[in-house]
Amino acid sequence: MRLGVALALLTAGVPLVAQSVQGRLEGRIPGEAVPVVDSLVQVALREGLPSEPLVQKALEGGAKQVPAPRIVAAVRASLGQLREAHDLLVRAGDQPPVRPGEVTTVAWALRRKLPPSTIERVVAELPHPPRGPAIHAIADLVAHGFDPDSSAGLIIDAVHDGLQRDRLLDVSTAALHEVQRGRTRDEAITVVRQQLPNVPGPPKPERGTVTRARRPETMTPPRR
Amino acid sequence: MDVNGAPSDAEIVARVLAGDTEAFGFVIRRYEAGLLRFATRMLGSRDAAADAVAEGLVRAYRHLASCRDPERLRTWLYRIVTNRCKSHLARRSVGDVPLDEAPPLADPSDGEATLERAEQLALVQRALTGLSPDKREAFVLKHVEGLSYEEMAAITGERIPTLKMRVHRAREALLKVLEEHT
Amino acid sequence: MSTIDPRIHEALDGELPTDALPVELRPAAQTVRTAADLLAAPVPGASLESRIMAEVRRPAPSPLRRAAGWLATPHAVTLRVRPVWSLALAATAAVFTLFFARDAGPQLGEHEGIAQFVGRFPDARSVHVVGTFNDWRPGTIALEDLRHDGVWSATVVLPTGTYEYMFVVDGERWVPDHLADRLVADDFGRENSVVIVRPVHR
Repeated sequence: MRLGVALALLTAGVPLVAQSVQGRLEGRIPGEAVPVVDSLVQVALREGLPSEPLVQKALEGGAKQVPAPRIVAAVRASLGQLREAHDLLVRAGDQPPVRPGEVTTVAWALRRKLPPSTIERVVAELPHPPRGPAIHAIADLVAHGFDPDSSAGLIIDAVHDGLQRDRLLDVSTAALHEVQRGRTRDEAITVVRQQLPNVPGPPKPERGTVTRARRPETMTPPRR
Repeated sequence: MDVNGAPSDAEIVARVLAGDTEAFGFVIRRYEAGLLRFATRMLGSRDAAADAVAEGLVRAYRHLASCRDPERLRTWLYRIVTNRCKSHLARRSVGDVPLDEAPPLADPSDGEATLERAEQLALVQRALTGLSPDKREAFVLKHVEGLSYEEMAAITGERIPTLKMRVHRAREALLKVLEEHT
Repeated sequence: MSTIDPRIHEALDGELPTDALPVELRPAAQTVRTAADLLAAPVPGASLESRIMAEVRRPAPSPLRRAAGWLATPHAVTLRVRPVWSLALAATAAVFTLFFARDAGPQLGEHEGIAQFVGRFPDARSVHVVGTFNDWRPGTIALEDLRHDGVWSATVVLPTGTYEYMFVVDGERWVPDHLADRLVADDFGRENSVVIVRPVHR
């Protein structure tokens, strides 16, 4: 019985997502773009790709009052990036179906100019759980002018030294801070590698900051 | 203090680190013009340069304790602003923002000599913008900021022969462009 | 491979006196010097001092915070008060405790963090932050110019993760956050700023 309900929910899942996507798009993007974006979302769902990045791209274009053809082109480009990310993960050794979250992360890293060869290296060398945050941390370093290979080496070393998830971003942040303090990028990588695994964590927000903080009314899940 | 009674860089750094935030105003007044000129030549835009210098000096204030040699504060500040400029340039390479923003035009009521000078500056700035960031940085530090190769090495973290080579290449490229237009 | 006579470089590097440079090579050296002189002219425009100092002063501890710091530091204090005054002091303290407890801000979950958005828009009438955290819906997160100095800010609780965003000034002008460490092309010919929200409770 429970299995039957679960299966019914699963099979109903796709149309439910589709309905909610149409609802989110209507009135937010030009009317003629809604069916096209909707069909691209359907394609993504059929191919096992994450659809939220496509919805976000369409909503962004609508908010920025971009004409319909450019919104469609940007959503189509996002779909292409997701496919490229998916294929890259498979090429690097992942068995389909690949994890949608990792596809989003890899697509994001490609947008930030992380070379595919670096991503393949990370996928080949790291297991699933720290892989996403590791790619984020490496992409962050590369976007700031660090050498992709050295960046990947540092973050993979950090994982081997026992750092996981959010702590990997502390490693990239520590390297960025060293550059801000006047070191070259190569020096920064060397210094941070020597500190591993004891890189400083993010500063705790001050009490006043927490007191001032407010929850916005409308929120969407993060890109991870 | 120097002979004019102005506090030395090391004294200012010590005062700021002791909690006298306002003393940082000395640092800004002393180095702002040079840093802004350097960043403007690097980025080709006064607005972008102002952002880079403002961000750089705020960072310098926040990390002042890590300035290892306060007597060489100037070198350290140039290093930070150089990094901010490179970050700006790296961001631009991703987006579609044009690099060759022209410098401000002279007012038509200015004298002919001023107008001609403004046109020449625009030509030179365009030629400079056509260089790679590394060569542009080397040329500006050497010839506009008047630094020695040793100071340039301290700022950029590069070896002196590398910097010399970049300056030479920059001169050659600039001469080629300028001679085509004169 | 040099495309100009190496003696020109030597003269410009100060390794060869200009007088020692053959006459036919002097125009090239002079062109470089003239270009450098033009570029060395001061850049006109207002000083950045007030902008930088406003930013620099921001994290400085307030008198209240300094007082709190003083109170938290051990000091030899002798108080001689009548019992009725000590009761009054206790009552005042209780009121303050209740006040601060009520305004301690939101309780943050394990997967939540705080994002601070700050921008300088001296002539703006309104500033909002719009991004992937609020479906790019303008008008939902307003920044405030609390000190009326043109510096607008908002402090927001968000689920941990990576977000893209822009500021919308006066409801129509889209501006990236120039103070953001990270930017990414938005596929519409501009750039979004990127914020990474980290968990507060670790």
